[in-house]
Amino acid sequence: MTPEKTPELDPVTLALVQNRLDHISLQMGWVMTRTARSPIFSQSHDFSCFISDAHGTLISQADGIPIHTGGGGFAVRSILRDFKDAIAPEDVFLLNDPYTAGGNHLPDWVIARPVFVGGKLIAFTCNRAHQADIGGGAAGTYNSAATEIFHEGIRLPVLKLIEGGKIRADLWKLLLLNTRLPEALEGDLHAMIGSTRIGAERLILLVEELGVDRAGGFFEGVLAHADRRFQSCIARLAEGVWKAEEPVDNDCFGPIDGRIAVTLTVKDRKLVVDFAGTSPQVKGFKNSSVANSTSAVFMSLASFFEPDLPKNEGAFRSVEIRLPEGTLVNARPPAPMTMNTVFVAHEIIHAMWKALEQALPERASAGWSKAVHAVTAGLKPDGGRYVMYQWAGAPAGGGVEGRDGFHLIGHLITLGGLTLPNLETYEQLYPVRFKRQELRTDTAGPGRFRGGAGCDYEVEMFTPADYAFRGEGVGAPSSYGSAGGRAGSGGEVILMLADGEKINAPKYGVVRHGPASYRALSPGGGGYGDPATRDPAHVLRDVRDGIVSRTSAERDYRVAIAADGRSVDAERTRTLRALQP
Amino acid sequence: MASPSLRAPWRIGVDVGGTFTDMVLRDSAGAVHIFKSPSVPADPSQGVLGVLRLAAEQLDLPLSALLRDCALFVHGSTVATNTILEKKGAKVGLLTTEGFRDSLEIRRGIRENQWDHRAPFPEVLAPRYLRQPVRGRIGADGKELVPLAVEDVDAAAKLFADEGVESVAVCLFNSFLDGAHEQSVGTRLGKTSVGKWVSLSSEVMPTMGEYERGSTAVVNAYVAPKVTSYLRALDEQLRQLGLPRSLLLLQSNGGAVSVDQVAARPVMLVLSGPAAGVGALKGCADPGEPANLVSMEIGGTSCDVMVMAKGDVPVTDALVIDGYHLTTPSVEIHTVGAGGGTIAWVDAAGLLHVGPQGAGARPGPAAYGFGGENPTVTDAQLVLGRLKPGPLAGGVVLDAELARAAVETKLAKPLGLSVEDAAAGVIRLLEQNLLHAVERLSIERGHNPATFTLVAAGGAGPMHGSVVAGALGCRRALLPRAAGAFCAMGMLQSDIRQDYLKVFLADLDKVEPAALEQAFAELEARAGDFAVREREVDLRYEGQQWPVRVSFKGTDTKAARKTFEAEHQRLFGHIQPTGRIDITALRVVGRDPLDWTPPAARAGRTDKPTPRETRKVWLDPAHGWQDVPVYAGVDLTPGCTLDGPLLIEERTTTAFVGPRDRLEVDPRDDFIVHIGARS
Repeated sequence: MTPEKTPELDPVTLALVQNRLDHISLQMGWVMTRTARSPIFSQSHDFSCFISDAHGTLISQADGIPIHTGGGGFAVRSILRDFKDAIAPEDVFLLNDPYTAGGNHLPDWVIARPVFVGGKLIAFTCNRAHQADIGGGAAGTYNSAATEIFHEGIRLPVLKLIEGGKIRADLWKLLLLNTRLPEALEGDLHAMIGSTRIGAERLILLVEELGVDRAGGFFEGVLAHADRRFQSCIARLAEGVWKAEEPVDNDCFGPIDGRIAVTLTVKDRKLVVDFAGTSPQVKGFKNSSVANSTSAVFMSLASFFEPDLPKNEGAFRSVEIRLPEGTLVNARPPAPMTMNTVFVAHEIIHAMWKALEQALPERASAGWSKAVHAVTAGLKPDGGRYVMYQWAGAPAGGGVEGRDGFHLIGHLITLGGLTLPNLETYEQLYPVRFKRQELRTDTAGPGRFRGGAGCDYEVEMFTPADYAFRGEGVGAPSSYGSAGGRAGSGGEVILMLADGEKINAPKYGVVRHGPASYRALSPGGGGYGDPATRDPAHVLRDVRDGIVSRTSAERDYRVAIAADGRSVDAERTRTLRALQP
Repeated sequence: MASPSLRAPWRIGVDVGGTFTDMVLRDSAGAVHIFKSPSVPADPSQGVLGVLRLAAEQLDLPLSALLRDCALFVHGSTVATNTILEKKGAKVGLLTTEGFRDSLEIRRGIRENQWDHRAPFPEVLAPRYLRQPVRGRIGADGKELVPLAVEDVDAAAKLFADEGVESVAVCLFNSFLDGAHEQSVGTRLGKTSVGKWVSLSSEVMPTMGEYERGSTAVVNAYVAPKVTSYLRALDEQLRQLGLPRSLLLLQSNGGAVSVDQVAARPVMLVLSGPAAGVGALKGCADPGEPANLVSMEIGGTSCDVMVMAKGDVPVTDALVIDGYHLTTPSVEIHTVGAGGGTIAWVDAAGLLHVGPQGAGARPGPAAYGFGGENPTVTDAQLVLGRLKPGPLAGGVVLDAELARAAVETKLAKPLGLSVEDAAAGVIRLLEQNLLHAVERLSIERGHNPATFTLVAAGGAGPMHGSVVAGALGCRRALLPRAAGAFCAMGMLQSDIRQDYLKVFLADLDKVEPAALEQAFAELEARAGDFAVREREVDLRYEGQQWPVRVSFKGTDTKAARKTFEAEHQRLFGHIQPTGRIDITALRVVGRDPLDWTPPAARAGRTDKPTPRETRKVWLDPAHGWQDVPVYAGVDLTPGCTLDGPLLIEERTTTAFVGPRDRLEVDPRDDFIVHIGARS
């Protein structure tokens, strides 16, 4: 009815296509969650399902762990580079190598299925998922002793795992031979393959509906819309050059004076993110890959702005990322890198948030503290192996305008998408007994909206086990305060052996111990805003709850609690708050 | 309404909604009468009495006679839900095992939308200073490791009394294995001043997992004083007015129970209204028919989707209400923000969206004239000629000009479309949202919705049933004539039902039959009053997170493995032929099936009904605008068939039949749409 509207890209169909693509990637996720074998998928959702167009540009990733956001395109573009014309219907590809195949780190395996309509390649439906074990120097994929990628497990270039609908049996056997948990790997691979099949079936229906020649135009329309959305976000940032740093204080073996340095240039609705000044790559396994660093940048941007920003590569067309080679954010082979999706992703996001805060203060987020928990692997009394993540000693979130930090939350890089276990369930699964999981006192970073407290967590381990430590949150505070708020306290990990020997756990390392008591004091999150402006009623509640002591209330928040412990001493609070700092 | 002669005894279902309280009465001859009157949110019982008085008046009966001849009075009450939503529950104290008092506040870190990290957790219902530790420990094998320190209970009770705690929850570590310590705590508390309302987690719902079990006990404690008192008072009042037997309450599991039975566990009422969808769906099939139905019940702001496969609606242990997690047995319902009042909007980058926000009852759609400026689905329907301008039930008047202005300003102009095209876009997006909602639940349950009949209920459902059924590939859509009173109708058809559960951990192939039998016998003894007791078992492959619930005969584990494998194949597309299968829980469903007969058939008519008017209506992208006949529902009787496109205006809804579809009025007087079957 309106003559000037283009028939191909009418806005209603575009909206329908956008929703449908996101619905399809969600559907793939539901299938994965329901069918996977390992709890890491059903419980921790450590995977992401995504769709790329025929050129390897990510067009939908509605579901999945945030640190996978925006990195999927690298994997598909590697397939296109390596297989070119040898991509056929009913093929399925597998890859993981971060140096040669667009992987982010070795444990995340990507299953990618090319989707054909009328003989024409129109898209890939993909699933990137963290495998339970891929060989290497330590059970459970995290080998903190690694100094080369060869110590971290099997490296997979782009492989054709299924050719013309048939699984390559030799390859399948090779994969199962290179894991300590072949049953889990097999079940999970089937779940991944099944999820991409469902995605492909649905996508074919959509493309047939649109017409195979028009579909590409709508995919481009979806990307262009996301670009416009993000440009309107950039427009909120003050133009200029904004610099920030986040320390990296160890290389997994000893202290270093390292950093992630970022320079943000905001100009003409473009954003340049330059990591010049970032420390050289390190000995240990925290080095990041291009795919992972890009994901971390995208995640920091998406989380800083609006939760419903489209998660496709179009959203970041106006962002240029510069990753200097040979540094922590873009290592050269054969540097190890399995830890990178957590650390240095965490540091990259902190550095980005700190820089963004300068350009748009009201969206600032105080820092989240870093995890201290170990992964323990041992034998059950019946001889069976087990791998248990000590998730329950999770770190804390930082405050933002309008809400305090979360007391215990699964990782910054999941934005809390990781569900912590019920301890009763773990007592049924593993030879352990839990003693405590309680909030700490005076550990939350003070602020108008304070950080989360972290917890005091202790578990008795009945049998000998390998402890793979990852104590980035041990020692100095690992969160930061924003807008006048302060960092939360640091964390601590203590192992008490049966003979009474007490060991302060190293930041990294794999050590075998006999029956022991493992205790983690997880670090507090950062506060947002001047603590002396916090609502006294909230300070009172924190004191009553034992999260904040009376001393800290007076010193940090300048709130005096009445003698009965149930009310604010308004007069003394007024006096305290009138004092200059 | 004319006063027909009722044949006693009859049944009454009353569903309290946000705006209206619906009542359905069905007499012994199968005649159905529907009544609607305004709800009274401040005191829902006034709404119940209001609709009863209205019914008595319209039926020309004294209220006492209406109640005296009522053999069954089933009530869906939102009082538990609203207590939670409005944060009007009791001040709750919680006792936990020492070391674990913070599980409730840590809440496993579960966030609804992880990307929205700025959204706070919902307020914890028992603050930390009222969560008190108790020494003592039950081990992972269910045996006592450390005896209970009763002095800790006394100390906590004293603190609770000082703090004015009104209701106490108890969740001790591993109490799902042995509730003895919780029982002792309960007994001890009973002797104190805070012993009036005590919720033990092992009694409320003995599931594994301290967070969800504790959260369930706390929510129970939070709602109990208010809800239980309210229900007892309402029951008392109805009895005094003449009701011969206690009223029944519909639970989240889709079954009804008496006030006495639910008094200790009012948390079971959280889904009280929508769960009646189970009974309503049962009423859409013949008695005992293994029907495959998927329903969308669309109201003002939301759409509830439910799947009935082979006559059975799945009941799960997972329910979230306003961010609080419950493990009460609950009918599986997927709710999305898609209804008549759902708002359409254009984002900063020019893309059209529909929902999830709604305009609510006030201001409501722009067409209501209450000052709403945002265009809603209802406004789009008016622009497209599918709804008629003018008075609606409840004193609302639809103004087509206001609707048009809102669509034009907020949608058409920014999108560069005509007002009509923009309105059509709103309907297409809404119907896509509905389609996605149905697909989501179907996929998660491993069903192919194309093989199901789509039931489109709720006041706004019949407008979309025909299109969504077509998109799903269904052959039929069922549009209930009483779509706007679907749940009240369902209450008359709900079984009496109670679920019993025991966590039981064993290897299916190695479990001792005697141990199984004993555990089941214990559960069956608890379900002793029920006519039917069905065994079920939760099974999963080793290492999996979520079990699959399958029916269980005797102690036949071999048959259970087969059933599990078939179900696993259907749900997940694969099985592990040699994989170890773990039992995680045993269940007994106690059931008193309610006999019910389909409503009496209305006299059929052979002559073609005449439309009351013809309107210009937008049909779909392929057909555009056409003159469409509009029928009055009362003119369409069983046996009548008509080709689409057409509209039907009924008392509680407007139905749309698409241009490729064929309408049939079935023998029980509901509308069946045969998709793509236009003659």
